[in-house]
Amino acid sequence: MSEHAQPEQYGLADLLCCAASREVGNNEIVFAGTGLPMVAILLAQNTHAPNLKLIFEAGTLDGRPPELPTSVGDARCEMGASRASGLYDAFCIAQRGYVDLGYLGGAEVDQYGNVNTTCIGDYLDPELRLTGSGGNPDINSFARRTVFIMVHEKRRFVENVSYITSPGWRVKKWPGGEFVHRRELYGAAFRGGPSAVISTAGVFRFDEVTGLMYLDTCHPGKTPAEIRDLCQFDLDISRVKGETVAPTLEELRIIHEVLDPDEIFIPKVKTA
Amino acid sequence: MSTDKRITLQHAAEIIKDGSSLTFSGFTIWRRPMAIVFELIRQHRTQLHLIEVQGGSHTEFLVGAGCVDIWESCWVGHELYGKYGANLSRKVAEKKIIVEDYSHAEMMFRFAAAASGAPYAVTQTALGTDIHNPEYDMLGRAGLRDGKRIAKHKYQFTEDPFFGAGSQVLIPAAKVDIAVMCVQQVGEEGTVRVNGQYYSDPEVARAADITIVMAEEIVPEEYLRRNADQNTIVSFEVDHILECPYGAHPTGMFGRYDVDGSFLKEFYGRSRTQEGFDDFANEWIHGQNHMSYLEKLGWPRMLNLKANSAMNYAPREKKGGK
Repeated sequence: MSEHAQPEQYGLADLLCCAASREVGNNEIVFAGTGLPMVAILLAQNTHAPNLKLIFEAGTLDGRPPELPTSVGDARCEMGASRASGLYDAFCIAQRGYVDLGYLGGAEVDQYGNVNTTCIGDYLDPELRLTGSGGNPDINSFARRTVFIMVHEKRRFVENVSYITSPGWRVKKWPGGEFVHRRELYGAAFRGGPSAVISTAGVFRFDEVTGLMYLDTCHPGKTPAEIRDLCQFDLDISRVKGETVAPTLEELRIIHEVLDPDEIFIPKVKTA
Repeated sequence: MSTDKRITLQHAAEIIKDGSSLTFSGFTIWRRPMAIVFELIRQHRTQLHLIEVQGGSHTEFLVGAGCVDIWESCWVGHELYGKYGANLSRKVAEKKIIVEDYSHAEMMFRFAAAASGAPYAVTQTALGTDIHNPEYDMLGRAGLRDGKRIAKHKYQFTEDPFFGAGSQVLIPAAKVDIAVMCVQQVGEEGTVRVNGQYYSDPEVARAADITIVMAEEIVPEEYLRRNADQNTIVSFEVDHILECPYGAHPTGMFGRYDVDGSFLKEFYGRSRTQEGFDDFANEWIHGQNHMSYLEKLGWPRMLNLKANSAMNYAPREKKGGK
């Protein structure tokens, strides 16, 4: 194991990328989204999880791209892949239950891990229309675990999201819209749910019985009370394990020299 | 029966009438039929109903130009070159467009249903989300659910009658008038060979009533039939073909050219206001044709995007980084 970096040697994006990378086990099948998650998965593939299998939503199965793709539709995805196909294959594979872990993002998250990527404000009269769901609810419905990577701002960690794009641990049961445990709604299709939210402040996990989010680790320099104040709901900070593990020098080398030398997704820290 | 399916770019756009429902080949910023999209904008097509597995840069151009009344899909943006669909957002805020949200897998399964002649598909995705909120059936709210081309319901819920697997969502087949495709090769009789990920192209082409294929090159049909196992779409599913090199620009094409990121970034930045969009369209679309557009882009820019034929993309290293 390589030595851990000092705070001035890495940036927040490095810390998030390494924390996300550590969520993957070897031999797992992982659904990769565009951006930082892609770097995190490739980092895992280059370190502790050389046998992980990567699925790109656009249709590349078990891809091993030698150069970082800028999106999942990128021609770079399929170099070295087991099969290049299409979305129907990728979603059937996911619905069939092959996927262990998915990495996703969001604009807002609530205390149950429900995520919004659709609009800010009332859906019928929104303040801002966002990109829409993409595959966020699908990957989150089908995978055993999902990890969300998010910017931490108080306006983003809310009591109730404006719109549930992607299902957390307690979700709405239609037609009434009352909250029920995810397990109740998904029945035989239940496989799990959000396992971690990695924000720019800390790492959060969920109590699978109550469905509630709790603080797991604080990023270096942040206190549990500070992080609780950055949430609009009453965040459980009673189970904090300590600090988020800093990147190792080897992880930083792989990110910046091998995976993303052009700083497409992860900027290099400027050291004096 | 004539086997000549060749048409011009102008004719391709003319086949698409005001009020048609449309879908496309490609994925977000890859293999989108941009040359036809630009021609539709020049011809001032209106009231289009886009039904897409997911949107992308082409959606933003059509929406910004006021061609679209209904957008039924799950996502729009320019990937890392523009984080959301600025034109769609603006039209939503101004209530000038109807947006019907499904999830990505739902849209894919809706096209797979249509492609297999089934009236609906069944899935277990997105349960418990606001995508299934009955208040958010926007086509229903607009009184457009006639049960003909637009399904009577956005969703139906049911319990698995066979294995007791619990809640299931039924989603209507995506019935669409025209698929507009952009691919590497098409034969004279319509056989399509897509290289690289084929995204949702096979389902989309089969689902649509009319399929128009714009290719980088029209090749002898006999050449494609020598290796039929490598072909993607069958000849008789394709109604019209045209050759249009670099017809996907500024989106990318596997094996031919990369996404023109700086073009998309500039478009995203400028199209955040309607005035900015109009200004961009006046510069790059109106008063142009495909050849003058390519001339304006220029050889150095296009060579920089050109894919390495062994790697199928333009390696960054040779260009000295980003």
